[in-house]
Amino acid sequence: MAVELYFFQPLGSNSGRVFLTLLEKGVPFTEHELNGRAFEQLRPEYLTVNPRGQVPALLHDGQAFTEGAAICEYIDEAFEGPPLRPPQPRARWRMRRWCRYLDSDIGRSLMMIHWNRIVPAFMGARSREEVERVLSAVPDPDRRRAWLSAYLQQTPPAELAESHRRVQEAAARIEAALSGSPWIAGPSYSLADIDLLNFYSFIARWSPEIVNDGLTPHTMAWIGRMEDRPAVRALRAATHTPRPAAETA
Amino acid sequence: MSEERGKPTEGARPTVELYHSEPNGACARVMICLEEKGLEYASHYVGALDFDSVRREPPRPELPELSSGEVPVLVHDGGAYTEASAICEFLEEAFPDRPLMPAQSRGRWEARVWQKYVDDGFAASVSELAWHAYGAPALSALPASELAAALERIAARERRDLWRAAVAGFGEQQLSRARIRVEAVVQKIESQLAGAPWLAGSQYSLADVAVFSYFKYLPALCSGVVSDAAVPRAMSWMRAVAARPAVRAALRRGRSTDPFTVAAPGPEQIRWG
Repeated sequence: MAVELYFFQPLGSNSGRVFLTLLEKGVPFTEHELNGRAFEQLRPEYLTVNPRGQVPALLHDGQAFTEGAAICEYIDEAFEGPPLRPPQPRARWRMRRWCRYLDSDIGRSLMMIHWNRIVPAFMGARSREEVERVLSAVPDPDRRRAWLSAYLQQTPPAELAESHRRVQEAAARIEAALSGSPWIAGPSYSLADIDLLNFYSFIARWSPEIVNDGLTPHTMAWIGRMEDRPAVRALRAATHTPRPAAETA
Repeated sequence: MSEERGKPTEGARPTVELYHSEPNGACARVMICLEEKGLEYASHYVGALDFDSVRREPPRPELPELSSGEVPVLVHDGGAYTEASAICEFLEEAFPDRPLMPAQSRGRWEARVWQKYVDDGFAASVSELAWHAYGAPALSALPASELAAALERIAARERRDLWRAAVAGFGEQQLSRARIRVEAVVQKIESQLAGAPWLAGSQYSLADVAVFSYFKYLPALCSGVVSDAAVPRAMSWMRAVAARPAVRAALRRGRSTDPFTVAAPGPEQIRWG
């Protein structure tokens, strides 16, 4: 029953959601930290695990599982431990809609904003030629374009503005949902809360003008409940800053 | 605008209703799923340009999901359900007879990954090509002012932007990116079918329903790369799905002779990476 997980540090977004799901289920696993700044996810030995060169990937009894949302549902189905999906079909539908919205819509908007802030520094001292050579190995053309446009700071301002608009809208929508129930998809804690923590909750620190005690008290209280969970504490304890690119390139 | 088919059943059995347009893309996914499950449902047909037709229906303030005009929307036991992948998983869990998900967790993971490929790019890319070929030409019959007024009535900002971009027309760069994305998925289908009869393994599943509902457009839209010569396994898989009685029944529930020669603007592409 060997379980192994390939992930990035610091633990968040897709890596964080799968890591936390394993912790919540109490599944022991072997950790394989990949260094994103050294582009270890594009090395041949990792591409045999996930040919898309994306993280995370889970190995269970020698079989590889990719795609964060599908991995989390798999973990909930395949292992003992507290259920992380509500039992009623309607509540599950609500959970899956939140998971998809957080991952594919709001998660991508935040990723666009975030990458545009950090990718130039993330590339360290590499010359533009080196950056282009490294990125030419990204298998997916859309992902490759996203990297380059963040590095060259060429993301159209209208696109960035639309991402900010969606984040504002999400803040109101999430606050409304949490004002009616303790967890994002209803009365029970679920994979949607795990996603909300990993894709969204950091904006309380990044953009305190959007998420704060005055404007979004229910969201702040939910963050407090999350941070008190033993599994989330274990996630925080396992989180660290990756080594800078200069030491690893 | 409303067409009632199937009778509300008597007694304690819950009724199902579906707001839908032509049985292609996302609507086809849910309509096929309902037929496979053998579920009778009341059909509410929403024409692609009838943005406000849902609001002209008997008002249903208890179902805010209907107000965007987005289809498909499933109504069951007083609750509305949106988004094809989530609706199909709901139907699978609420009506587990005649299963459409593999019994093993690994197979279920595979079925969910295929649905995610559809949701994250295949649906949008096929829809862009289909809109370019069928949707945009059909629009040219409408007076521009009528069209502009119709677009103004779309409530949700994202959907309005999507429609405006589609009406303005897709450029060659966007279409060629769509072709590249489509070809990558088609290749993946062809290699998957080398080792198994269905996309998620040995059993027909929601993965086949999801991919088929867009793939069926492709032999006409991308004849060079989606043909018996280029991808023989994918083509015979497509015919096997199309021959299923439930699929034939679902595709007959539209108003056009061939639902894969009409198109509405599809879901938006994933916006980043």
